[in-house]
Amino acid sequence: MIALLIANSLALASLLIMLASGLALIYGLRDVINFGHGALYMLGAYLGYTVAKVTGFWLALLIVPILLALVGIVLEFLVLRPLKSRSHIEVALVTLGLGIILGQIIIFIYGGEARSIDAPAILSGSVTVLGLSYPVYRVFLILMGLGSCVSLAVWLRFTSSGLFVRAVSQDPGVARMMGINSDQLSLLVTSLSAAFAGIAGVLAGPYLSIDPGMDIVMIVDCLIIVVIGGTGSIAGAIIAALLFGFVQVAGSVFLPNVAALVPYVLLMIVLLIAPGGIGRGRVLN
Amino acid sequence: MLGHASSSFRVPAAIVAGAILFGLGGVLPGYLASDFTLKLANEGLLLGLLALSVAFLMSEAGLVALGAASIYGGSGYLFAIAMSEWGMSPGAAIVFAFLAVVAYGAVLGALIVRTNPLAFMMLTLAAGEMIRHVVMLEAVHDYTGGADGLVVSFKGAILGMQAADFANPQHFWPIGWTAVWLIGVTLWSVSRSRLGATLRAVRQNEERMRFSGFNTYVPRVVAYILVNAVAAVSGLLHVLNAGFVSPESLGLGVSTNALVAALMGGTAGSVGPLAGGLIFAFAQDEFGARGATQLLTGAAIVLFIVVFPRGVVGGLVAAVRRVLPGIDRPRGKT
Repeated sequence: MIALLIANSLALASLLIMLASGLALIYGLRDVINFGHGALYMLGAYLGYTVAKVTGFWLALLIVPILLALVGIVLEFLVLRPLKSRSHIEVALVTLGLGIILGQIIIFIYGGEARSIDAPAILSGSVTVLGLSYPVYRVFLILMGLGSCVSLAVWLRFTSSGLFVRAVSQDPGVARMMGINSDQLSLLVTSLSAAFAGIAGVLAGPYLSIDPGMDIVMIVDCLIIVVIGGTGSIAGAIIAALLFGFVQVAGSVFLPNVAALVPYVLLMIVLLIAPGGIGRGRVLN
Repeated sequence: MLGHASSSFRVPAAIVAGAILFGLGGVLPGYLASDFTLKLANEGLLLGLLALSVAFLMSEAGLVALGAASIYGGSGYLFAIAMSEWGMSPGAAIVFAFLAVVAYGAVLGALIVRTNPLAFMMLTLAAGEMIRHVVMLEAVHDYTGGADGLVVSFKGAILGMQAADFANPQHFWPIGWTAVWLIGVTLWSVSRSRLGATLRAVRQNEERMRFSGFNTYVPRVVAYILVNAVAAVSGLLHVLNAGFVSPESLGLGVSTNALVAALMGGTAGSVGPLAGGLIFAFAQDEFGARGATQLLTGAAIVLFIVVFPRGVVGGLVAAVRRVLPGIDRPRGKT
């Protein structure tokens, strides 16, 4: 029972980690929260649906993130860079508006009904671990989530671009004085974060449903996670995503009537105890 | 707009002009406009009020609230439930709903204005979604009607008006018009008061204000409570006018519409957001017929922030000043 609960919350947290860490990365570099991130995830899911129909699931998992990375590059060049001198709130509002537009275009093309895609044959069915039967697809999700955590950590820790990203997140002014080109980094980070949203979207297909409201649900969840984790803190976001996944799943098992409210209660409790979130973000000076 | 009057002669002139405008605006549309136009205009006024609450917080405190709908729709739900389930009279139900929603806003505000503006924006969005989830809970379905919403019909009268009067666009217009003026003038005076000055100073540099010995927390909580009271008035007037409440009135769509209306009109001052509400209501009628309301909302947010950050009213005022320099300068001569 407990093992199943933890496994389920890890599966959900895997998706949330990919999205929330992308948000935190952009925030770290640009001080902007991308309110359109939910729409990118939705775009990833619907593109995944279309591409998977033609090429199958595995190629979709490769192609869609590349497409989304291109969207991220467009976002960087057409939105974040030109609006660099505007207030962060204004840029955040622009991303909110762009997210609404993107969501509406997707609904216009695909219509209002929910879609679903099947997991590939090798990932359907279930596997028995320690006497517990568990869907293979969720094991795959957990592995993907774990993989993205590890690769993020390796990148940030052991590569020079990762070092620069950490430096800019910690102190943009000093980092710039040391000759770090934050525009170039931002291009990398924005496309990376969009690509992760694409992966999460494709992965969500066989796991959750693909429907017109998915962008709002996901962006609200991710914002809660980013706030709990301490805005801009990637480690905080990962821990908060795990916590969020756990209370969400535990809530739906133990308190099915009010499960929808459990994440908000978590948010309020964290805010009461630590208004800046649990990580060392830059939310409060 | 309401007279940046500087000489003692121009203050009474502004008041007289305002009074005439108020009187004419309250009476004339009832004779001139069709019922359909008036109905749209009523919706525009109420959206304008909601936009005013969003805009006031934006321009004075630098905080963007994305949860206006939860106050707007929440007050409507409480009004309906207080009458149908707890047997309150319409007047008592209005007072109860207003106070309950404002109290909720005070608690929420006390919790979230401590964070930075960006986190504030995210938290208001989250809190708004939370209220929408509460209403949709299975456990309160008997109270809220779930996805179907509630029909609100009341017996008796509020200030001498029956339910049917509120539903009649002609009768409702003067009420909305009066409310808009009262609240517009109130918020305008608040922004010129000590509270407004403190809020703007905190917005520009919170740390410096704190070091200078000002309390930077309480003024922002007070401002948040104030704008929630305005949103509650808008929501209550809306439920009286429409005669029903639905979960849509709590949705993110309503909050973003209010934001767009505020950006369209211009967030500075009282006239901009109110005009924005009217513009939006008529534009929505045009676009909504093609199912593109949300698209309009998204595009308008981007357009007005990037290209016209001062909004229609702010832009017009600036244009008039450029053409006729020396007219009605807000600062300068004393």
